[in-house]
Amino acid sequence: MISKEELEYLAQISKINLNENESRKFPKQLDKTIEYIDILEELASDDSVILDLQEMKIEELRDDVVRMSDGKQISKNLTEDGFLRGPKMK
Amino acid sequence: MIGLEIHAQITALNSKLFCSCRGNYRDLGPNTNICEICCGLPGSLPVINQRAIEYSTMTSLALGCKVPDKIMFYRKNYFYPDLPKNFQITQYNVYGFSSIGVDGIYELDDAKQIRISRIQLEEDPGRIAYSEGGMNVRNSALIDYNRAGVALIEIVTEPDFTGPKEVRQFLNKLSLTLEHIGVCDTLLEGSVRCDVNVSMEGGNKVEIKNINSFREVEKAINYEITRQSSLYSRNLKIEHETRHWDDRKKITFKSRSKEEEHDYRYFPEPDIPIIVLGNDFASNLKKRMPELPNQRFERFVSKYKLSEHTSNILINDKKLADFFESTLKVYFSPTEIANFLVTDFKSLIEDDSESTDYLKNLKVKPEHIAELVKLIEGNKISRITAKDILVKIFESGMLPSEVMNNTNSYKISDEKTLMDAVQSVFDKEKSAVEDAKTNSEAINFLLGKVMKFTNGRADPKIAMRIINNKLHNPDK
Amino acid sequence: MSNLHDLLASEVVGGINEGLFTAEEYVSSILKRIEDVESKLHSFITLDSEGALSAAKIIDRKIREKEDTGELAGVTVGIKDNISTKNIRTTCASKILEDYVPSYDATVIKHLKKNGAIILGKLNLDEFGMGSTTEYSRYQPTRNPWNLDYVPGGSSGGSGAAVAARECTVSLGSDTGGSIRCPASFCSVVGLKPTYGRVSRYGLISYANSLEQIGPICRSVRDLVMMVNIISGKDERDNTSIPSSPISLKNKLGKLNVAIIKELITGSDREVTRTIYSASEKFKEIGCTCDEISIKNLHYALPSYYTLASAEASSNLARYDNIRYGFDLPVEDYKWDTYFSKVRENFGEEVKRRILIGSYVLSSGYYSKYYLKARRLRSLLRLELLTLFKKYDLLIGPTMPILPFKFGEKIDDPIKMYLVDINTVIANLAGIPAISLPVGFSNGLPIGLQIMAAPFEEQKLIDASYDLENSINIQRKTNAI
Repeated sequence: MISKEELEYLAQISKINLNENESRKFPKQLDKTIEYIDILEELASDDSVILDLQEMKIEELRDDVVRMSDGKQISKNLTEDGFLRGPKMK
Repeated sequence: MIGLEIHAQITALNSKLFCSCRGNYRDLGPNTNICEICCGLPGSLPVINQRAIEYSTMTSLALGCKVPDKIMFYRKNYFYPDLPKNFQITQYNVYGFSSIGVDGIYELDDAKQIRISRIQLEEDPGRIAYSEGGMNVRNSALIDYNRAGVALIEIVTEPDFTGPKEVRQFLNKLSLTLEHIGVCDTLLEGSVRCDVNVSMEGGNKVEIKNINSFREVEKAINYEITRQSSLYSRNLKIEHETRHWDDRKKITFKSRSKEEEHDYRYFPEPDIPIIVLGNDFASNLKKRMPELPNQRFERFVSKYKLSEHTSNILINDKKLADFFESTLKVYFSPTEIANFLVTDFKSLIEDDSESTDYLKNLKVKPEHIAELVKLIEGNKISRITAKDILVKIFESGMLPSEVMNNTNSYKISDEKTLMDAVQSVFDKEKSAVEDAKTNSEAINFLLGKVMKFTNGRADPKIAMRIINNKLHNPDK
Repeated sequence: MSNLHDLLASEVVGGINEGLFTAEEYVSSILKRIEDVESKLHSFITLDSEGALSAAKIIDRKIREKEDTGELAGVTVGIKDNISTKNIRTTCASKILEDYVPSYDATVIKHLKKNGAIILGKLNLDEFGMGSTTEYSRYQPTRNPWNLDYVPGGSSGGSGAAVAARECTVSLGSDTGGSIRCPASFCSVVGLKPTYGRVSRYGLISYANSLEQIGPICRSVRDLVMMVNIISGKDERDNTSIPSSPISLKNKLGKLNVAIIKELITGSDREVTRTIYSASEKFKEIGCTCDEISIKNLHYALPSYYTLASAEASSNLARYDNIRYGFDLPVEDYKWDTYFSKVRENFGEEVKRRILIGSYVLSSGYYSKYYLKARRLRSLLRLELLTLFKKYDLLIGPTMPILPFKFGEKIDDPIKMYLVDINTVIANLAGIPAISLPVGFSNGLPIGLQIMAAPFEEQKLIDASYDLENSINIQRKTNAI
């Protein structure tokens, strides 16, 4: 059962505000989903190894070469000097 | 009990860890060293830098760690304005996969061993500056992503340190090691950061963050020990908390902000497959990697037959040691050159050792020292003269021979010239000559006069022989 | 000649190269078609008519000057709006990216452009790819061209509907748990989820990166093959991409060993089952064997999928804090963490639910209970399938367990909605290729056959599909809308 506090905690660490409607609906809906995935408990417990992983060799990795981009990735909220203006820290 | 968590940038890399932007972001205008990957634009994917893995492996080997034959990356999830993706790609030791180095040992000078818990490869976040304008006008923060994505090596020790001196020693040795491998230039601004855990016996662990240079670490630890002792002596509780080091006020204060979420929800990074290093990767790298300080020390002692004391001085100053070996290439006389470097030479340049360009911009070059030592050994000049010549070379960059031609400072070993000099002195100092027949101190007095007469250039051994001869054979 | 917009991609390329019509004429015909039906369908979020016409003119000039125009010359492609297109707004059907204009093209877009394809616009989807009907799009849902009261499937609903309605020649979608195959099935078109790693994900806005692939939706298998070959390939910008061989269009289907997955049949509606069985008869007719087999771990597949997909989503969507890109919300008067939470209030309900579930299953108390178990199930399922593929060439079953349904039928119950994906998540979990082929109708609503093969065995899928397509001949019988 997902409590109100747990839901608030999850919303806090996910940085998501819930509106009134959602705060009302979500506990039940999320509970149902968690109940649904609870079936995974039946699977044997084996924390040691994850098997399905893709591998690549170190030789295939990117060479350490500089390639400058045009720097136009950020266009909004720039100050005159080029800093990005974000919300205050405190 | 003190433990360290050090973040060192791999300043040796040209590009960042997961993209091809420049690794050295200093002196660039804000947000000009960015691309869609290091800015976390939607749809971008990390592409890992091969040399970063080589350098972090070398660091692991240098610290005595085990290097696995496969490595994996994890996401550390937390929100912060300087973190473009709001997660950091890092490594994590869990479920059978280790980071690039684990379970190492690093020995201090007194044979005390510090256990290295783990070494991991991860990315640096961007930087937050604050708006200009007074305290009241801070309604926004200024963010620069030039640094975001730069490769970091994180080194975590067990809490094996018992005091700030040991920590200082460790950090000095570590800097030296990193310098020898070439992985991190610790003098570059912002290239190393150090967090410290301090706990008194049986007490809670206090984490101190935001120490931005190795020099500040000792101060922070001293402050914290004092603070904790004071609480302890008053029977007050030492909270388990995170504190910030303020390097202006030189105090630690409790972190007010809760940006460090404790549940980082680590999980394997899906965009980077497991990287197979192979069984031979680490051992091959070990053979190829640059010489470590203790290896160089052994070589200086065994190959060059230097004393341990002299070797130590050289090893602890890599640029000086490099200078030494360059000089050897010109003229092979290890003991003389080493001694000259660690005494006369070193005292001349002592002041500049904190600069990254230390020794680079000196007018004195290995060739100069080589020639100088050659002259000393060939008895052409005395040690005292050599020192004077060095000063002149330091200022002008002229070769020793040039300096000497200008000042006429060759050592006189020519018998005829010396005999004339001795004769002149004997003629002047008749009473001393009489004394000298019975009193050895007077002989030294005469020698001194000969040296003065020849402006210090006389070969003292030959002059002494001539004096003695003349005393016993007055007519020759 | 019939309407230009009804032409298949292969016919468009042929026609333009032979001078039967110009690319500009073709694109104009497409744009007219969109004008006629778009207000009923709502497939597009952004339409770039100007860009399309300019590109068409360039192709026409190249044809006149006898320059190389590429294998897809003149083909109009609709792009699911979670794939980055340079200078064309890319929203993921979310308010959070309402004003986001990418500064770069996804690798697949580069491939298309290089081969003469014309990027028509961005197609509707469920927000960030999370959903099966486009009802979770923050714009509005797309309608099924076969019956406007019914859902087109999702999350690539716009991609399926636009192709079925001939608003574009072909389209690209993305498939995380069935998001290409579901709309392909519901809209009676062909859709392929390639083997994981065959197509570069660079530029695909991540929902669940270990599960998803970009793939084509087309009206014919021939068109599909053209598209797959162009968009496939190892990409140095995507460390998870893997080299592959091109697929060819053979005429003869060899005697393959085919198996029907029992569990997928028993869970399906009767009309669906009936149609699937009759399709499987076609295999037998040409000499393939067709057994019925069981997959042991199947009932854990969907819970595992949701666990893993939500976990990855919660992390992939963390970057949307409106600082670097997004929509208009001034930063003054907020402290950074309240700003983040305020911005992210603008996610839709389903996205919020998945992020919360994702944070839940990754949190330290629950990581081994859900996430690790799901990872383990994934490995077991993949091993089980690889073993089956040693004996069988193809595994078949219905793409969707049900017929297309009406809007609003499942939206109040997330679990009901999740269960719609039950047949398709297997291929994503195991990383294997899967195609959905239209094989029939029931009460005017489309039914699709899903065929799966071993990793990188798309050739077998195409051989079977091409043969079936010829014998069943769905496309040429009826036209949607």
